[in-house]
Amino acid sequence: MSAREVAVAVGERLAEAERAGLNATLAWSEAALLAEADRVDALPEPGPLHALPVAIKDNIVTTGLPTTCGSRILAGYRSPFDATVVDRLHAAGAMVACKTNLDEFAMGSSTEHSAYGRVRHPMDPSRVPGGSSGGSAALVASGAVPMALGSETGGSVRQPASFCGVVGVKPTYGRVSRYGLVAFGSSLDCVSVFARTVGDAARVLRVIAGPDPRDATTLAAPPIAPLRSGATLSGTTIGVPREYFPGDLDRGVRAGCDAALARMRELGATIVEVSLPHSSLAVPTYYIIAPAEAAANLARFDGARYGTRAPAAGDVRALYRATRGAGFGAEVRRRILVGTYVLSAGYYDAYYGHAQAARRRIAGDFSSAFAAGVDLLFAPTTPTTAFKAGEKTGDPVSMYLADVFVCPASLAGLPAMSLPIGRSEGLPVGGQLIAPALAEARMLAAAAALESVLDATGEVR
Amino acid sequence: MSVSRADVERVAALAELAVAPGDLAELTAQMDRIVGFVAQLSALGDLSIGAAEPMGPRETPLRDDIVVPADLVHGPPELAPEFVDGFFVVPKLGAMEEP
Repeated sequence: MSAREVAVAVGERLAEAERAGLNATLAWSEAALLAEADRVDALPEPGPLHALPVAIKDNIVTTGLPTTCGSRILAGYRSPFDATVVDRLHAAGAMVACKTNLDEFAMGSSTEHSAYGRVRHPMDPSRVPGGSSGGSAALVASGAVPMALGSETGGSVRQPASFCGVVGVKPTYGRVSRYGLVAFGSSLDCVSVFARTVGDAARVLRVIAGPDPRDATTLAAPPIAPLRSGATLSGTTIGVPREYFPGDLDRGVRAGCDAALARMRELGATIVEVSLPHSSLAVPTYYIIAPAEAAANLARFDGARYGTRAPAAGDVRALYRATRGAGFGAEVRRRILVGTYVLSAGYYDAYYGHAQAARRRIAGDFSSAFAAGVDLLFAPTTPTTAFKAGEKTGDPVSMYLADVFVCPASLAGLPAMSLPIGRSEGLPVGGQLIAPALAEARMLAAAAALESVLDATGEVR
Repeated sequence: MSVSRADVERVAALAELAVAPGDLAELTAQMDRIVGFVAQLSALGDLSIGAAEPMGPRETPLRDDIVVPADLVHGPPELAPEFVDGFFVVPKLGAMEEP
């Protein structure tokens, strides 16, 4: 197929996803798709992602399509530059298919907090696709695109990947440039990848990874090695953290993980139980650090530097307050207020200081497990399968706890991924692999081996 | 630790965020719930004792001290509210300060 034929086919699928009511896209057009195809056809040689359409979460800036972050405050905003990850996709021959819906400024676990309406789960519209990268996950799961970019701050790719039954890979903090990713929690943010297979996710990750002079936090590390072929885990020790299998874990999720562990054992892996004793601190730690960083990062959206300006009488501060009060949605306002509270005079040590210390403890747990000889950790990605829309919106803390198994690796800056390991009552179950820093190749190889022997669409028992 | 209505009004002012009076009661209840949840860390005592694991990059990376032109699709004259003779026009500082 020519790039133009691919572009036309993708346009038809995106239109079909819209008609199905997924609400997963925020911006796309046939004209933009054809322009992408013409650019690919003009490349001197086909790249490693030649003519592959990739959906882009709408907090990653693109010049060809607007970037709203799912917020009213950035309605219609057009970036004057492309994110580094978009430049690298283009250089590899990929096409930007569309911008995808998300929780506003990537703050949420269900994609119900978008100013442009909630995203529906592709298999059951009464349920959520997870979040905050719910639009990207739903589009890949529905078959509209083969791959998508999302972003992780505290699990925003692995959690929706698990809910939607696709592969979601978060790299090591610093492995992929954030130049052009709208900042949320700068010590946590990672551009991450969705795909239907481990191999496709690895291909995209290899293209977008690598040092970037425009992002001083990128690591000068050797490139991620190509995916090894061969389904074996011989010589690999998989640690199973007991704190990730609490007594009230959903029965289907537990059954899926047990089955996946049995397959890994058959592939030659040694399975050992390990302890990550500070895991229960991860969610409260995350919900101090991330809002604190968000409160600072979102200060720029004030109607003067960025953002739709609200009409306001009075001085410049009245303009800021009116713009931000009208422009941000409920969850973003909550997090800015919590972040400002925990950083304010008199509370800093009690909250932020303790959270920084807890974060070091959590990272130390992982270091100890890997130092003891564990190559990878395996755990459920989420405590349940996809929940019903509206089920958790009344209680923010209940929503935050949906991220209990994905937050720890984010706080430790480690690579981690979710892959589909079966279905429970028809809904996807995700298994999570966590690797030492920069060991993405090891993690992806193990995931590919597991993928090759699992029936990801079969009911777990 | 409980969050009061006055606390919410104070941090909203610090955050330059207008909050409608009708939203204050619900926001106060939600803030109280969230702050109460994260406060469980404080109850654990000093977690920094013995926690030697450093977070983030092991050393501060510095980029080369070279000015590289930004590859912008729209140049500064198109982006700025006012741009004259190669300069951004900004309000006088005094005009932005509170009396």
